[in-house]
Amino acid sequence: MWKKLQLKKHALTGISFMLPLVVASGLLIAIGNIFGGNPSTISDYTKGYNIWQAAVTLGVYGMGLLPGVISAAIAYSIADRPGIAPGLLMGMIAQNMGAGFLGGMLGGYLAGYFVAFIKNNLRVPKWAQGLMPMMIIPLLASAVIGLIMFFVVGGPIARASEWLKEFLINMQSGSKAAFGAVLGAMAAFDFGGPVNKVASLFADGLLLDGVYGPEAVKICASMIPPFGVTLSWLIKRSRYTKSETDNIKVAFPMGICMITEGVIPIAAVDPIRVIVSCSLGAAVGGAIIMFLNVGSMVPSGGMFIVPAMINPWGFMLALTVGTVVTALLLVLLKKDAKDNTPIDVEEEEMDLSEIKISND
Amino acid sequence: MKIVGIAACTSGIAHTYIAKEKLEEAAKSLGHTAHIETQGTIGTEDELTLDEIKEADVVIIAADIKVSGKERFKGKKVVEIPTHIAIKSPKSLINKISEEIVK
Repeated sequence: MWKKLQLKKHALTGISFMLPLVVASGLLIAIGNIFGGNPSTISDYTKGYNIWQAAVTLGVYGMGLLPGVISAAIAYSIADRPGIAPGLLMGMIAQNMGAGFLGGMLGGYLAGYFVAFIKNNLRVPKWAQGLMPMMIIPLLASAVIGLIMFFVVGGPIARASEWLKEFLINMQSGSKAAFGAVLGAMAAFDFGGPVNKVASLFADGLLLDGVYGPEAVKICASMIPPFGVTLSWLIKRSRYTKSETDNIKVAFPMGICMITEGVIPIAAVDPIRVIVSCSLGAAVGGAIIMFLNVGSMVPSGGMFIVPAMINPWGFMLALTVGTVVTALLLVLLKKDAKDNTPIDVEEEEMDLSEIKISND
Repeated sequence: MKIVGIAACTSGIAHTYIAKEKLEEAAKSLGHTAHIETQGTIGTEDELTLDEIKEADVVIIAADIKVSGKERFKGKKVVEIPTHIAIKSPKSLINKISEEIVK
């Protein structure tokens, strides 16, 4: 039952639609704030305003669209095109009730499944078929799920979001650092795999609710593995074979762009040592970030967005220390590679029994 | 075996293309042919042609998110998996599929 709902796939579709919007909006706000000296947003268009105010204002508009976009994308993922209109509306409710990201996600799920249910179960006479996608589905779904959002789930989610935000903001330095360490280790643990996605979803959600630290942890933890591996190679080249060296040369520039996946071929040869080293380095980096109150309004972009962060020097410190920790652990833990043996990267054992071939 | 497919991941800039490469390489080394279309954040690239789809024995959709254009595969054998399976064990995946199809 739960498998059939494919909750995760729909959430990830939502995130994938949201990412370009949140990067553009976050950068616009950051650029406007840096060059315009934290200007106010435009509130009255009849009065004059400057270019930095315009940038910040546009970014704030973009952030306000996020619950709508994630909700619409989730509903679209579930119910295809008819999901989009009700999905957008549910996101608007979430945004205005203060239920933010979580409310937008829930609204998207509810609208999507409801539309899919109507599509599959409501039969109308032939002459009314044109009305289904154009009138019946959008109206019925928006009204029914809208009422549920307004009167049942919106309020509690708004309060829960507020509580989580307060809790994270008011955490003591010690627990903040511990939280950063766990989040960092999770984000680096499987190089962009399912564990990383959980950490990432959590950080993205908090970003939309105005908590910027976890996003900086995520960015740092995505860059520490490739940087750490590269540094360990510079310190002691004998730890790596020729083909691994080639992989490292690709992994480093990918790391600058915050793409961790370049480390996968290196981790595949020696998973336990590489994963332990990378996770511990990222945990240290994450702890420093939370401890120094570093934050990022932009969820991806790697080194290029560091200047737009809150406390960029703190970020660089966390990144450097984390990278050094990872590199030293790799040098200590790894054994010298036996070079010149042709490396056919071992495949990981995976459970393929659940894979089904369907005749469409 | 002729394989066609789609790869698509959440951020649409990395896993998508790694999955494509892994599947195509694995297919080649096992003596099959594969052409994987990518649906990244930039949009659809390296699109499958209708002839390719018609001739294909199986369709592999390696995606973490919703992909578009599935209606092109009507009447085909379709395997849907998350991208990490295509990335971590492409060969065993293709071997398993070819076993199943021969059955």
